[in-house]
Amino acid sequence: MYAKQLYTKKSGGNLPQLVSAQTENQQSRYVVQKILEFREMGIPLEEMAVLFRSSFHSFDLEIELAKANIPFLKFGGFKFIETAHVKDVVAYLRVLENPKDVVSWNRILLLIDGVGPRTAEKVVDDILKRRVGLVKEFKEAVTATTKFWMEYGGYPENVRKLFDVLKEIVSPDIPPAEKTSLILQYYEPILRARYEDHLKRKKDLETFQNITERYRSVDELLTDLALEPPNESIADIESPGPETEYLTLSTIHSAKGLEWNTVFVIYALEGRFPVMRAAASDEEMEEERRLMYVACTRAKEHLIITYPMNIYDRESGLILTKPSRFIEGIGEHLLEPWVVD
Amino acid sequence: MKKFTLKTLPGDHLHLVQPQHLRINYKQEINPAQYEAVTSVNGPHLIIAGAGTGKTRTIVYRVAYLVELGIKPDSLLLLTFTRRAAQEMLRKASILLDSRCEQVSGGTFHSFANSVLRKHAGRLGYENNFTILDQADAEDVVNLIRTRMKYDTREKRFPRKETLYDLYSRSLNTVTPVKELLAADYPQYMEIENDITALHNAYVKYKHEHNLMDYDDLLLNFALLLRQEEAVRAALSEHYKYIMVDEYQDTNKLQAEIVKLLASKHRNLMVVGDDAQCIYSFRGSTIRNILTFSEEFNDCRIIKLEENYRSTQPILNLANEIIVRGRERLGS
Repeated sequence: MYAKQLYTKKSGGNLPQLVSAQTENQQSRYVVQKILEFREMGIPLEEMAVLFRSSFHSFDLEIELAKANIPFLKFGGFKFIETAHVKDVVAYLRVLENPKDVVSWNRILLLIDGVGPRTAEKVVDDILKRRVGLVKEFKEAVTATTKFWMEYGGYPENVRKLFDVLKEIVSPDIPPAEKTSLILQYYEPILRARYEDHLKRKKDLETFQNITERYRSVDELLTDLALEPPNESIADIESPGPETEYLTLSTIHSAKGLEWNTVFVIYALEGRFPVMRAAASDEEMEEERRLMYVACTRAKEHLIITYPMNIYDRESGLILTKPSRFIEGIGEHLLEPWVVD
Repeated sequence: MKKFTLKTLPGDHLHLVQPQHLRINYKQEINPAQYEAVTSVNGPHLIIAGAGTGKTRTIVYRVAYLVELGIKPDSLLLLTFTRRAAQEMLRKASILLDSRCEQVSGGTFHSFANSVLRKHAGRLGYENNFTILDQADAEDVVNLIRTRMKYDTREKRFPRKETLYDLYSRSLNTVTPVKELLAADYPQYMEIENDITALHNAYVKYKHEHNLMDYDDLLLNFALLLRQEEAVRAALSEHYKYIMVDEYQDTNKLQAEIVKLLASKHRNLMVVGDDAQCIYSFRGSTIRNILTFSEEFNDCRIIKLEENYRSTQPILNLANEIIVRGRERLGS
C-alpha cells in the first residue's frame, strides 16, 4: 500500500461512535431513533445514509423504518421483501392467515414439482368453493386420507405434501417462528432446485427466521411486512420527486464516490463484516478492510458504527458477538464506545 | 543543399505558452499537491488520490492545463469507468477553459476499444462491422448453443444461461479457471465441469464465426490487437500522446495491459486512483495494477493528494487508523 494520511484544514467535529446493541432489532430501533434525532437537529433525510456490507443486513431495519414512517430508497441489492425467495416463504404464511389469498396459493402451488398452471387453478378453485378444507378443516381433510383423495382425486402427490405441512402448522397456538422453521424445512429442496445461488439466498431466509422470532402472531408479522411502502418502480428510484425527502440505504459497494452529512455503518460484526469466508485469505480480508475505509470516508460530520452483539450464524453454528476486527480495540480517543440500553 | 531535420522534443509544446501567460491561475485555485499533479506533463505519473481529496477537480484542471499549453485536444485520451464520468469532466474543463476541451478524446475502456476495433478488427479475422452483444444478447447466444448441444434435455440439471454467462465472463475478467469458480460458487455443477467448459469453447467459436463480440471480447480483442499489430499500436501512440486513466485501482488485468501498450512509446501516462478504495475484485479489478505501477514505471513520479475536503478530522483519524492497522498486519 502507498502510505498516506488524510487531513483537513477544517477544525472541530465529534468523535465517531461505536455502538453495541443487544440484538439485531435493538440495533434497528437505535438507528431509527438516532435518525429522528438528527432530523430534529435540522439534518434532512437526504443528508443521511445507512451503509452495510451485504444487502440482507438492512432487512430488519427496513421493517422498523417503515413502521416509523421514514421513507427510504435502497441501493445495491434488492429490498428484502421483494426478493423472490422471501416472497415465497411469506406466501405460505399468508395462506394460513387468509385461505382466500389466491395470489399466494398460486405462488406456492406453482413452486411444486409437477404442478402447472392448470392444476394450480383447479386446487385454488376447490379451495375457494370450499371443496378442500380451509384453515380449520385442514386437519380433517388430510387425516381422512382415503376419503379426501378419492373425493378430490387428481391432485399430484406433492400437493398433498404441501397440505401436510400446512396442516401441521395451521394452529394459531404455534408461534410464528416455529411455523416459519417448518416452512423453511419444507421449502429447502425447492430453494435448492429453483435458485442456483441458493447458498446466498439461504442467508436471507435465516434473517427472515430471526425476524419472525420477535412476533407473537403471524398476523402481526404479516402486517409489519406489508407496511413496507408500495413497490416503487425503477423510474421512481431513479428520480424521486424534488419534494420527497428520503433516507438512503446502500451497500458500501454502491456508495462509492458519494457523501452524506451523517453515515451509519450497521452490522459491523465480526463474521458479517468482514464476511466469514474472508478469514481464509489475506487478500479478501484486506478488501473487506478497504470496504470499511470506503464506508467511513463517506461521512462529512457524523459517523456512527453499530453492531448487534448476539447473532446466531446458522451456517457455522456460531454465535457472533464481537465487533468487526477492523474497529475492535481502537482507542477511545479515536472511536467513542456506546451501549444501547 | 544542407538539410535540417526537425525533431519532436519531449515537452516541445511547453515553449508555445509561457506559464505566466496562462489564463487560469492554477496556483491559486488548487492546492499544492493538486498543482503538482496538474502541471506534470511528460512521463509516467501515479496520483494517489485519497477519499474526498478533489480527484475529479484535479483531472479537470489537468485537462485544461494541457490544452492551454497548446497540446492538441484530441491527442489527449481520458479513460474512465462510466461514460458519464468522462463527459462530466470534459464538460467542467470546457467551462473552466474553453470549448477546446470538448474535443479531448474521453470515454470508457469499452467504447475506446470499440472505436479502434471498428477500423482494425479485420486484422483479427473479424469483419469491421462486427455486432456487439450486450449482456442479454450474450446470454441468448449461450442459450442457443446450450440447446444445440442438447444440454437442455439432459437428465441432470444444467446451469441456466445467466449463470453460464456470468461464469464465463468472470473467468475471463478475474483470470480464474471456470473450474475454480464452479467449486467456489456452484459446487452442485462440479461433476459436469467438462460440459460447461465445452460449451464455453463452443460459445467462443460461435461468436468468432458469426462476427459477434460481447463486452469482454472488446477488451480481449483490443489487447490482442495492440500486442500483435505493431503498426496499429504505433499509430495509436502517435495520435494519443497523453493518456490519463481514472479509477486505476478498479482496472482489471486486460485494462492495465491495454494502458501500458498504448503508452509504451511515449510513456506520457498519468493514472489516478486510490489503492485504499479498491473494492471490486469480484468483478475482476485487481489492486496489483496500482501497487505495481511504480515498479513497472520505476521512474514514475508519485503524487499523493491527502488534503480532504469532505470530513472532519476525527472521522479522518479513524479512517487513517483502519488502513494503518491493515498495513501493520501484513507488515507492508
